[in-house]
Amino acid sequence: MGEGRVGCSPIFNDSNSILMEILLSALVSGLMLGLVLAIMALGLTIIWGVMDMVNFAHGEFLMIGMYAGLLTAQVTGADPLFGLPVAAVLGFLLGVLCYYGLAKYLLRGPMVAQLLGTFGLMLFLRNLALLIMGSEDRALHEGLLVGKSLEIGWGIIIPATKLAAAVFGIMAFGAIWLLMNKTRVGQALTATSLNAEGARYMGIQTEKMNALAWGLGGATATLSGALLVNFWSVNPFVGLLFTMIAFTVVALGGFGSVPGAFFAGLVVGVIMELPGIWDFFTYTFHWSWMEKVPMTSFKYTFVYLAYFLIMVFRPRGLFGWKQ
Amino acid sequence: MKKMTGFMALTLAASLVAGLAIASASSIKIGVIYPLTGGAAAEGRELRAGAELAAEIANSANAAMAMSMGKNAGIKSLGGAKIELIFKDHEGNPTQGADLAKKLILDDKVVGLLGCYHSAVTKTVSAVAEQYGIPMINDSSTSPDLTKRGFKWFWRTTPHDGTFTRDLFEFMKGLTQGKAKGVKAVPKEDIKDLASACEKTEWGSHVSQLIEVYGKEYGFNVKKSILYAAKSADLSSEVGSLKAVKPDVMLFASYASDAILMMKTLKAQKAQPKILWGQNAGFEAPEFRTCLGDDVAGILTRTVFSPKIAEVKKVAGQVNDLYKKKYNRDLSGASARAFTGVQAWVEVLEKAGSSKPADIQKAANTINIPGDQLIVPWVGIKFATSGDDLGQNILGSGMIGQYQKGKDGQIVLEIAYPFDVATANLIYPFKGF
Repeated sequence: MGEGRVGCSPIFNDSNSILMEILLSALVSGLMLGLVLAIMALGLTIIWGVMDMVNFAHGEFLMIGMYAGLLTAQVTGADPLFGLPVAAVLGFLLGVLCYYGLAKYLLRGPMVAQLLGTFGLMLFLRNLALLIMGSEDRALHEGLLVGKSLEIGWGIIIPATKLAAAVFGIMAFGAIWLLMNKTRVGQALTATSLNAEGARYMGIQTEKMNALAWGLGGATATLSGALLVNFWSVNPFVGLLFTMIAFTVVALGGFGSVPGAFFAGLVVGVIMELPGIWDFFTYTFHWSWMEKVPMTSFKYTFVYLAYFLIMVFRPRGLFGWKQ
Repeated sequence: MKKMTGFMALTLAASLVAGLAIASASSIKIGVIYPLTGGAAAEGRELRAGAELAAEIANSANAAMAMSMGKNAGIKSLGGAKIELIFKDHEGNPTQGADLAKKLILDDKVVGLLGCYHSAVTKTVSAVAEQYGIPMINDSSTSPDLTKRGFKWFWRTTPHDGTFTRDLFEFMKGLTQGKAKGVKAVPKEDIKDLASACEKTEWGSHVSQLIEVYGKEYGFNVKKSILYAAKSADLSSEVGSLKAVKPDVMLFASYASDAILMMKTLKAQKAQPKILWGQNAGFEAPEFRTCLGDDVAGILTRTVFSPKIAEVKKVAGQVNDLYKKKYNRDLSGASARAFTGVQAWVEVLEKAGSSKPADIQKAANTINIPGDQLIVPWVGIKFATSGDDLGQNILGSGMIGQYQKGKDGQIVLEIAYPFDVATANLIYPFKGF
């Protein structure tokens, strides 16, 4: 695109650097969002991978993590980041409790019992939160990450919370990957997920492995919740907004695949920033018909379209390995 | 045996008391359909509180109240019959709203309906009411289309988005003419470029169209209008799109959670338009203030109520005090309009002196409630009975408020428009987050 063409743009008439800003901002913000989505999907993929169980209550774990972070900060007056370990411990215990109190029994039933069971858990946790916390939105006002953002040049601005979530996400994925691939516990988890009966014959305590999967799944969900509350406001219904996308991420990445969830998160994040990329092309080529396309209205359509295509052409997902 | 007789006597006495209670407390049932859970639960809570307080005032006599509804206990022309509100939750879902309306009409045998906040839900609910010939008063939905359908059983007390959006452009025009309190005339070039982001259901998409229509009429340049999903986990691409056109003025139509997320994302992306205006709803919800804190200072919202009205209107002050005592917060645009909706019902029933639909219809079409009875700053309530805005209150008007930080550090909603009742100097331009 030459200077001359940009010069006749109806919107920008000084330089084309702003076009690069639009593109780079969209890409960076898509990748950041992708990492946020990836950590939200991590817990889901662990439980899914090990137990072949869809945890519909995953978003509620996230919501509980958000409240845990918020309340820890409000009650103790400390920085919201101190809520992270509290939320992680709470999530782990809650996950284990849900396994021994509910999931264990659901495993004996057919698939539909598991679906309805965790769906019931979702409704229960959501309404419990509604009862205790009320329906209104709550948010943090102060904290190391709250309301801050970093300007890194080329017009790219990254909110501190998203950056922290991204860094944490990469670390969490690394840790879970190491656990699954380099330790005996991880091998036992993988064995349980491949063939629970066989694993039992080999002396693996599959029940404990399942509980561990629920604990890890719960802890990563609440931990990401406590991190996200530095930016997002929380209400009892917030879980659903995130889980809908988390499910897509998991399915896209491949059921139960940890690296799959990571890369699928990035893909979905960038898809959600398509409106920005569209803007870049609109203003670069001055096609007026492009301006009229309501890209933001269809933001989620593209996400679910990607999901649909993957389901049709590669049902096991990008990185799926289980049959 | 003695025991037995005693028991029978007790039962007899109990049934007598119960019978008496039923005989004396004849009540008029109104079905109220609001979003009590779901994305707009916060606004639903406000609406319900406002409606409940109005029913309470209507049902008990209080000579000191400056409105006629408060002076009588119950509806005088119906022998002191009490107003009974039956609340139902539509969760923002139009289909569910229609089902609830049918249930209320057929099972609960309600005399009429009130609601439903979301224009999309009001649309389906009013269609059910029309089908069954049951009167419905709409207190809080602002899509202009609702009164353009020629319905005979539908009346709307609140001004609609056409009025509200025109107010915005009148406000900006006034700003360029130096009419805004404490601000010198702003050159039109400074605020010419607009960008809007509206949620994509019935209400938001209409506001978006209205902004384009009035923008053109008033000579502004609407550079970008985007529609987005209110139930969104992330709004960074929307904010990116808005920022890309570098607008002077950003306009929004949002519900609560998305309004908060939108402002937080704007702040994170260091957006700094000169004017930031919201079409009520989320921008007026109490948690908009509690979640965003001091960041709201300078943001404008259209509204129909501000506690500041109490300074100029006695009855508004009285009701706000009662509300504050009961719910520990000030009336908002939502609760004030729900209050006014129930009040309209009471006045219509009082005038009809009957609970038959035909009598209520006649009363609603001829009623004229003077402005001094209302807590909202309108000339009154009088419904259009002809023309293309059938059932619309023609005496309603809007306001534009601006969040400002008072000397005590509290955030208050000052009145910025109409200019003649402005309560504080306008903050212009918006100072940024």
